[in-house]
Amino acid sequence: MDAFWIILTGSFVSISCGLLGSYLILRRMAMVGDAISHAVLPGIVIAFLISGQRDSITMLIGAGVLGVLTTFLIEFLHKRGNLQTDASIGVTFTWLFALGIILISAYAGQVDLDQDCVLHGEIAYVPIDLWITSTGKIIGPRAVFITGSVLIIIISFIIIGYKELFLTTFDPAFAAAIDISTAMWHYLLMGAVSLATVASFESVGAILVVALLIAPPATAYLLTEKFLFMLILTAFLGIFISVTGYYLAVSIDGSIAGAMSTIAGLLFALAFLFSPKEGIIITWLKNRIIKKELSESF
Amino acid sequence: MIVNKAAIKSLASLLFLSILLMYASCSRTAGEMANSDGRMNIVTTTGMIEDIVKNIVQDSADVISLMGPGVDPHLYKATQGDLKRLKDASLIFYNGLHLEGKLGDIFKNLGKIKLVMAVSDDIPRERLINNTTMGGQYDPHIWFDVSLWKEAATYVSQSLIKNDSINGPYYAQNTATYLLKLDSLHAYVKQKITEIPQDQRIMVTAHDAFEYFGQAYNIRVEALQGISTMSEFGSRDVVDLVNFITEKKIKAVFVESSVPEKYIRSVVEGCRKKGHEVIIGGTLYSDAMGNKGTPAGSYIGMVRTNVNTIVNALK
Repeated sequence: MDAFWIILTGSFVSISCGLLGSYLILRRMAMVGDAISHAVLPGIVIAFLISGQRDSITMLIGAGVLGVLTTFLIEFLHKRGNLQTDASIGVTFTWLFALGIILISAYAGQVDLDQDCVLHGEIAYVPIDLWITSTGKIIGPRAVFITGSVLIIIISFIIIGYKELFLTTFDPAFAAAIDISTAMWHYLLMGAVSLATVASFESVGAILVVALLIAPPATAYLLTEKFLFMLILTAFLGIFISVTGYYLAVSIDGSIAGAMSTIAGLLFALAFLFSPKEGIIITWLKNRIIKKELSESF
Repeated sequence: MIVNKAAIKSLASLLFLSILLMYASCSRTAGEMANSDGRMNIVTTTGMIEDIVKNIVQDSADVISLMGPGVDPHLYKATQGDLKRLKDASLIFYNGLHLEGKLGDIFKNLGKIKLVMAVSDDIPRERLINNTTMGGQYDPHIWFDVSLWKEAATYVSQSLIKNDSINGPYYAQNTATYLLKLDSLHAYVKQKITEIPQDQRIMVTAHDAFEYFGQAYNIRVEALQGISTMSEFGSRDVVDLVNFITEKKIKAVFVESSVPEKYIRSVVEGCRKKGHEVIIGGTLYSDAMGNKGTPAGSYIGMVRTNVNTIVNALK
C-alpha cells in the first residue's frame, strides 16, 4: 500500500510538472522551477514574522505568494527591461533569495527557518503524512489529495487554453495578430507553474520537482516533433519514472526522490544517444551510411 | 483544428484517469499500524532519545533510532527503510520543538491515531529558552541541560509504563536507576565547570546549540551563528567576536561536529592578528552523539566528553 501511495503521488507530480515543463523548455524558461525553489525564501520568512507560526499551511501560503511574484517579476524584467529570459530568471531569484537571507539574519536568526526545514516535503513521508479528521478517521495521505488536485487544475487549464498556449508558445506574432493576449497567457501559465511547483515542493521536495519539470519534457522533445505527442509522451515518461524510480530506491534502500531523478536522467541519456530524430548514435550511423554510399557512387 | 480536438480528447482522458485514481485513494484506508507479536517496537528520532528508551526497556523491547551518529537532525532525509520502521513502530518518540522540521508536523498529526510522543511535551514552557520576540518558538536543544533531559526521561518512562503494563514494574525500576545516573551526571557537570576560573567561563562555538548548557551550568555562551544555519554571519559578527575574545583573553574556542571548521578558523586567525593566541579547544558533540562503542556513543558519555573538552581547554 505504501508503494501505491508513493508511486501515485510521484505520478501526479511528474505529470503536472512534465506538462508545464514542456511549455517552459519551448519558451526557454526551463530553470524557472529552480528559481522558484530559491525565491520562496522571503515569503516563508515574512509568513513566519507575521503569524509567528511554522506550520505547513502558513509556510505554503507565504511560499505560494512569492512563487507567483517571482514568475511575474521574471516576465516583467524580460518584457519591460528587454532582458533575456535566462538573465531575468537569474537576477530575480538570486535577489529574492538574498532578501530572504537578510530577513533571517536580521529578524529570525534564532529559529530554524529555511525551505528544507519548513517547506520542502519528502516523498518517503507520503504514506505517513495522513489527512486525519478530528474524530480520528483516516481519509488518506495528504499529499495524494494536494498533488491530485493540482494535477486536475493543470490538465483543465491546458485543455481550456490549449490553442492559446500553443500559439503564444510557437508563434507569438501570429497569436497577437488574431487577438490572443500573449502577456495574459504567459502570466496564466506562470501562475500555473508556481502553483504546481510550490504545492509539489511541499509534498515531495525540491530536487524531484526541478528534475521532473525538465528531464521528461526534454526527453520527449528529442523523441518527437509533434507538440501534442510531446505532452502525452511526457506524461507517460513521468509515470514510468515514478514506478521504476520507486523500485530502484527500494532495492538499494536509498532516497526515493534521488532514485526517481536518476531514472529521469538515464531516460534522457538514452534518448540523447538513440533518438531516431537526433540521437548521437543514430546520426553517426546515418552519416556512415551516407559516406559509404557516397564513396561507392564515386 | 484537428490537433486541438485530439489534444482535448487525450488530455481529457488523463484528467478522467487522475480523478479515478483520486477516487480510488479515498475508498482505501491506511494499513493497520499496530504490530502483532508481544514485543514493543519503539522508534526514536535522535540517538539521545534512543539512549533514554534503551536504558528504560533494556532488552524487553526493540528500539531503533532513525538518525544515526553524526546525522544533523536538520538535514535528515528518510529512506524507504525508515518509512517501514515508522509504520511498524508501536511507539514513536521524537524531540519536538521543531528539531525534526516538517517530520515533527507529521508526527504531531499522526498522534491522533498512533502513539507518537514528543519528549519535550511535558517540560514546563517557562523552563524553555526562547530567544525570539515570537511566542512559542523555543530552542530545541534541550538535552544539554541534564535536569531538563531528566524531565524528558521521566515523561518517556511514564508513556512506556502506561503502554506496557506487563513490563511496567521492570521499567519503573530501570527508570529509577537511570534517573539517579542523570542526577550524578548533572552534579558532575556542575562541579566540573567550577574548575574553570570565574572570568574564563565563556565558551565560544560556531552555532548556537549550547544555550541550555550555558544557562544550567553558569557558563556564558557566545556563538558565531544563530540557531538557523541559514543566517549566515556577517563580517561584523566575526570582528565583534574577535574583539570580544581578545578583550576577555579567552584561551580556546570550540568546533562542532555538524558545522564547518573554517568558520571558527576565521575567528582564530583574526585573534592572532590582534596579538591574542586562541586555540581550538576541541570538537563538541551538538546535534548527534558519537559512534556506538566510543565514549561519546551514549548520552551520558557524550555530555561527559563535551564537558571534559570544555574544561580542559579553558582551565
